[in-house]
Amino acid sequence: MVDLSQYLPILIFLAIAQGLSAAFVFLPIGVAYLTGAHKPDAEKLSEYECGFPAFEDPRSQFDVRFYLVAILFIIFDLEAAFLFPWAVSLDVTGWPGWITMMIFLAELVIGFAYAWKKGALEWE
Amino acid sequence: MDFAASLSLVAPEILLSTAGLVLLLVAAWAGDGASRAISIASVAVLAACAFMVAPALCSGAMGPDTVAFSGQFRADAFASFAKLLIYAAGGAALIVAPAFFERVHAMRAEYPVLILFAVLGMGLMVSASDLLTLYIGLELNSLAAYVLAAFLRDDERSAEAGLKYFVLGALASGILLFGMSLTYGFTGTTSFEGIRAALSGTISMGALFGAIFMLAGLSFKIAAVPFHMWTPDVYEGAPTPVTTFFATAPKVAAVALSMRVTLDAFGGQVAAWQQIVIFAALASVIVGALGAIGQTNIKRLLAYSSINNVGFILIGLAAATPQGASAMLVYLAIYIAMSVGGFVAVLMLKDADGAPVEGIAEIAGLSRHRKVLAACLAMVMFSLAGIPPLFGFWGKFVVFQAAVQAGLVPLAAIGIAASVIGAFYYLKVVKVMYFDEPANVAVGKSDWAHQALLAIAALFISPLGYLLTRWLGALADKAAAALFLAA
Repeated sequence: MVDLSQYLPILIFLAIAQGLSAAFVFLPIGVAYLTGAHKPDAEKLSEYECGFPAFEDPRSQFDVRFYLVAILFIIFDLEAAFLFPWAVSLDVTGWPGWITMMIFLAELVIGFAYAWKKGALEWE
Repeated sequence: MDFAASLSLVAPEILLSTAGLVLLLVAAWAGDGASRAISIASVAVLAACAFMVAPALCSGAMGPDTVAFSGQFRADAFASFAKLLIYAAGGAALIVAPAFFERVHAMRAEYPVLILFAVLGMGLMVSASDLLTLYIGLELNSLAAYVLAAFLRDDERSAEAGLKYFVLGALASGILLFGMSLTYGFTGTTSFEGIRAALSGTISMGALFGAIFMLAGLSFKIAAVPFHMWTPDVYEGAPTPVTTFFATAPKVAAVALSMRVTLDAFGGQVAAWQQIVIFAALASVIVGALGAIGQTNIKRLLAYSSINNVGFILIGLAAATPQGASAMLVYLAIYIAMSVGGFVAVLMLKDADGAPVEGIAEIAGLSRHRKVLAACLAMVMFSLAGIPPLFGFWGKFVVFQAAVQAGLVPLAAIGIAASVIGAFYYLKVVKVMYFDEPANVAVGKSDWAHQALLAIAALFISPLGYLLTRWLGALADKAAAALFLAA
């Protein structure tokens, strides 16, 4: 007699694989169907623009530099966020902690120098 | 273990990261004109790293002396074996790149730097003995790889490949991270040793789910079925030197990492993951073989071939024995040579203007006007199919031998049957090159660096490779012994 319960892991593995791939196909369709506008009118079909009438195509391209600035902001903002827990726990981590953080900061400075030299910080 | 000893164990990683950072600054100040010089420097750095890790492999380093940073990192013979393969593949990707990118004026100085950082991440992956080291290494590798996939940014296919790889890779990382958090929650530790100790009895449902999610994430990284969908698109869209890199180095790193996770962290619970690995192995072999049949683009064909090969490698993992692990490493070494040979041969297919040729129909009758290239490509195809006089056969042989000795006879039998299906499409390429009417498209001249690299790969997979079997097998045995001692 085959003990089917031994095959549980493979069943779970398959179910997860199936579930994930099915979800990516059907979830957007289902959500769009359930939440979509069934009674469309001109107002509903217009793009939402914070209360004022839409004045241009929402798919217009915008300057990639906004994106670049946002990414640079996230990187250097996270660096600052790392400094706080490091600073308050420095009495525990001691010299190794201090040296590690200095290496981390030096690496970020290299990244900063690279971004600067490449002109990522210049708007024009 | 004091810091000095730990630092000496991670010396190759320190050299790689320092070199990467310095070359990044050189790249910024010297500009794209210095790309060739930076590439040469990067190859030299990889060679130096290879010399640094080789002694640990030759002496079969294992045990507590190889553990750095209180169990975060392990520089044993197993890691050294994988690192040597990764450095070799990274070097090949650096050597083939300039000639390809310079034709479209897209050779940027950042390419070698990105390769160095990806190699550094992969070095961390294969040395990981803690879930956090694992994840940092994996992400460092993946982030560099996403940029590399989209390196020809004016080319639509390359941008699509980069985006696709990024979205699906981020999803896989999320799944892996979820699995890691479940594992941590149910075992109370992130170290592989601790997880193994915590799972000594019957495995709890939560830890089982953790293992399954981690395996799902890792299957994505090694492109095993059912997480293989991205592979053909990314391999086709990415620039060919980058595809050469993707098909070799990250594959070694992710397979080695899967071996560490399954045989070390979950090594006490073989029954829990063995069926999953068997399923993934068989599915990869079969889907890889069947999916390749209808392909008309040779890069897509090689992508399915890589899925197929991963299946064979996983058969060794399913055995869960030191012999199986050793067989996997031998297979990986041979697979690297075959893949580099195959993609370099594809890089050498150019039309009269030097533009790359990728269609299988366009290489019809290649043997008439490019005899040596056609012969090398035919050899790679025969070797991938596992036809005996060539070295590719040896890899399949040791893997099947390990599976049979572990009592997995049906698995080995199905694998052998599926490799016959796979032989069909490899032989089709050979038939098109040798027996079809010449299309006279791929007539362009090749770079000497490509020719040299193809010659080395062809020599390795030729019957002469069998002279290396004893030596390669002994090294792989040492590496597998180190893996199982750690476990």
